[in-house]
Amino acid sequence: MEKATVTRHARTAVCIATLAFGLVSGAPATDAPAQFTVPITYYKLPNGLKVSLSRDTSAPLVVVAVYYNIGFRIEPKNRTGFAHLFEHLMFEGSKNLPKGEFDKLIEGNGGVSNGSTRFDFTNYFEVVPSHVLETMLWGEADRMKSLALSEENLKNQQGVVGNEVKVNVLNRPYGGFPWLDVPQYANKNWYNAHNFYGDLGDIEAATLKDAREFEQTYYAPNNAALALVGDFDEDQAKRWIEKYFSSIPSSKLPPKPDLREPRQEAEQRFTKTDKLAEKPALAIAYHVPERLSPEHYAMVLLDQILLQGDDSLLTQELVKKRGFSDSVDGGINLLGNAFNYNGPMLWMATLIHDAGVKPDQILAAAEPVIDSIRERPVTQEQIDRALVKLRAQLYKDLTQFGGLGRADLMASFSLFNDNPALINNLEKDLRKVTPELIQKTAKEYLRPTNRTVLVLEAGAAGKTHSSGGAQ
Amino acid sequence: MRIWALAVLLAAPCLAGEEREAPPPLAAPKPFALPAVTAFALKNGMKVTLAEYGSVPMVAISARMAFGNINETADQVWLSDLVAELMKEGTATMAAEQVAREAARMGGQLQVSAGTDESSARIEVLSEFAADAVKLVADVIEHPKFPESELERVRGNLLRQLTVQLSTPQAQARRAFAAALYPDHPYGRLFPSESQLKGYTIGDVRKFYADNAGAQRTHLYVVGRFDPAVRKTIEVAFATWDPGTAVKRAPPNPVAAKNLVLLDRPGAVQSTLRLGLPITISPSHPDYAAFEVVDSLLGGAFTSRITNNIREQKGYTYSPFSQVVTRYRTAEWYEAADVTTKFTADSIREIQFEINRLRKEPPDAKELKGIQNLMVGLFVLQNSSNQGIIGQLSFVDLHGLTDDYLKTYVQRVNAVSREDVQRIAETYFDPGKMTLVVVGDKEKIGESIKF
Repeated sequence: MEKATVTRHARTAVCIATLAFGLVSGAPATDAPAQFTVPITYYKLPNGLKVSLSRDTSAPLVVVAVYYNIGFRIEPKNRTGFAHLFEHLMFEGSKNLPKGEFDKLIEGNGGVSNGSTRFDFTNYFEVVPSHVLETMLWGEADRMKSLALSEENLKNQQGVVGNEVKVNVLNRPYGGFPWLDVPQYANKNWYNAHNFYGDLGDIEAATLKDAREFEQTYYAPNNAALALVGDFDEDQAKRWIEKYFSSIPSSKLPPKPDLREPRQEAEQRFTKTDKLAEKPALAIAYHVPERLSPEHYAMVLLDQILLQGDDSLLTQELVKKRGFSDSVDGGINLLGNAFNYNGPMLWMATLIHDAGVKPDQILAAAEPVIDSIRERPVTQEQIDRALVKLRAQLYKDLTQFGGLGRADLMASFSLFNDNPALINNLEKDLRKVTPELIQKTAKEYLRPTNRTVLVLEAGAAGKTHSSGGAQ
Repeated sequence: MRIWALAVLLAAPCLAGEEREAPPPLAAPKPFALPAVTAFALKNGMKVTLAEYGSVPMVAISARMAFGNINETADQVWLSDLVAELMKEGTATMAAEQVAREAARMGGQLQVSAGTDESSARIEVLSEFAADAVKLVADVIEHPKFPESELERVRGNLLRQLTVQLSTPQAQARRAFAAALYPDHPYGRLFPSESQLKGYTIGDVRKFYADNAGAQRTHLYVVGRFDPAVRKTIEVAFATWDPGTAVKRAPPNPVAAKNLVLLDRPGAVQSTLRLGLPITISPSHPDYAAFEVVDSLLGGAFTSRITNNIREQKGYTYSPFSQVVTRYRTAEWYEAADVTTKFTADSIREIQFEINRLRKEPPDAKELKGIQNLMVGLFVLQNSSNQGIIGQLSFVDLHGLTDDYLKTYVQRVNAVSREDVQRIAETYFDPGKMTLVVVGDKEKIGESIKF
């Protein structure tokens, strides 16, 4: 199954999509488990920039992450894919760093960087040796303050982004399935239901004027969060942040559009023919409860119980018992995790299967599993196992790629909730979830009428490339 | 560069006339130390390495087993993959579902997979479960049940994966490239035929395991935060395991010859390219560090020459990259890119141009220093996670390197001179010995490729 990426380049695109979310202490009560609380300092500059700092001296590295509160959801309506194209332009040079110079400054000092565009934010990050921190803050401030846009660079990146869409969507089987496809079928509100990568025609039609307007509207300190994680001196970091970012003027932000989805009242079913796929596939999706509501936490546990790990109920039924596929994948927010978004979202489960198995057979096998959750409460043992899995996943995320996963949660909770310390509340809120709340949540959100089914037909079935064996 | 600067000035007149500000001066680098390791062997020959690392209470456990695709005959392609998959299907005393629940109870997910030169069974769990996780890994690799009842399902999964993988142009390119470089070695057989895969019996699986698995072929790594008493658990859990047979690996005799393989993919909007050759040196060879520097300069970094040329200047592609693949007692290098179909020949020409340019003139000192800094930075990053540390330690063990290899890595990279770079490019990167694989729309590409 395709790894979801809408990124500047592919080499460090491994990161945040695996991040699930977290829990900070807990586990079965016999032994007192080691705990880890994320140290967080949070404040705002007078121009509105949200700053969060988390020191960790495990390695002489620092993560610098700048998140802008603009994702592909609310890009201009006649410019699908524009938020992502603009992300590429942010690497094309700024006042003091002509095209390519920021990259040289990062890699030439031993660091790596990337950017990505998601539902509700666009992020830019560097993972660098600690002593390069000031240089990175200077560079990020330079492009926040004075991006240099040119026709030539726009044209170059339209070519690059066109190739990105080709390699990730158009020239591969399961391109865009399910991460790009399913939101377009399941959602009704344009903001949630358009082609986020963009039609090639829209990408080609983008102009410098579009880019300038987009920059002036959304790329301002009062619409951004800066997160630092790693081995740095906090007082010194604060002085540098003040020095480089405080003079950047804030912008007047437009009101946020209405992103709400209507309650889905009838099951939806769609079929897509993938002309490059030799095996069919199936995706099922359900709209999830509002982020950070009690039901949302229940949904996070349901995801663990139903879908995550070899012990999960759908894996046991569809993979181990029925043998439909080698895995059933998915979760809440395939372009991130259950916390780094800010609007309507889907929980999705998806698998690739053989032509001899019909989609209805798979649905008929999955339904009793999901019905059982709606009909009776799960056991405390199931909840406990889900909590342990979540806690371990959080710890991995907090330290992966030099601390990028931690910066991601800090920046997301800063942007969307004005409170990055929410990372340390996750456990408490998850522990509040009862078997009754899980059942109530399943009854409303795992309703058959809340479901969207996408059947992927294998347009290349039979054109097998494998019969010849090793050449 | 002048052209770019001019473009910026024309496009953004509000900035014209202002002086560019220099980046702030760098602070002094902080020292970097590899984690301290404890290494020991059991009486049956199994090796163990423990390393304490990190701030969060997690521990990674990985048993690296010295067998994999390299031990397959031409009639056994992916038999080791089938063995690895079936190792997850239960032990003498635990059903597969119990194994899955036990792993989940510790916050982990057991993974068993076959690799080219070695296979592994691994799990990362909360620290308080370190001992239980060691016991689980021990049970899975010492006492796999290989239940015949699960064979057809697992085989079906591999057949499906085979079809799905080979429907991608990248896998088709990989297959053809490997077959060209290693015509008579397991390295050249990346995929089985369907009929081959359909023929393996549970007896074949059990025999392959019995012939290859055992204590003296296994190296257990435990990295993260854990109670040192885990050593005792390891000694007990693996004490009675049969030593098994000695490690058996035959190095390949790779083919370095000019070779164009054009695979038709009608209607493809991009051509998938792979250009490279075998380079018969190992990590212990004195030229190896310079070889890695050349790779990074050519295509291994975002600021590398090929990426800058065909992506940032020309816009032909999104994700070009080059790579050193370290094999048993040898290596290979290749550049890979998916390029817009109409720029297929142009892209190949530019890639060759960049290779030849580095063979003709050394890089300037600043460019070289930047790439060396990047390699050192990536080395620190690779040694900054439990899994990454296991990767580094097992690399040293797989290639029979000394303990000094990691300790002196930074020094060796920084010692590479401009002249070394040119000499290595000239010596090892001979375009006359490269294989080029193109997977794309033959009709549109036509005769345009000059190779």
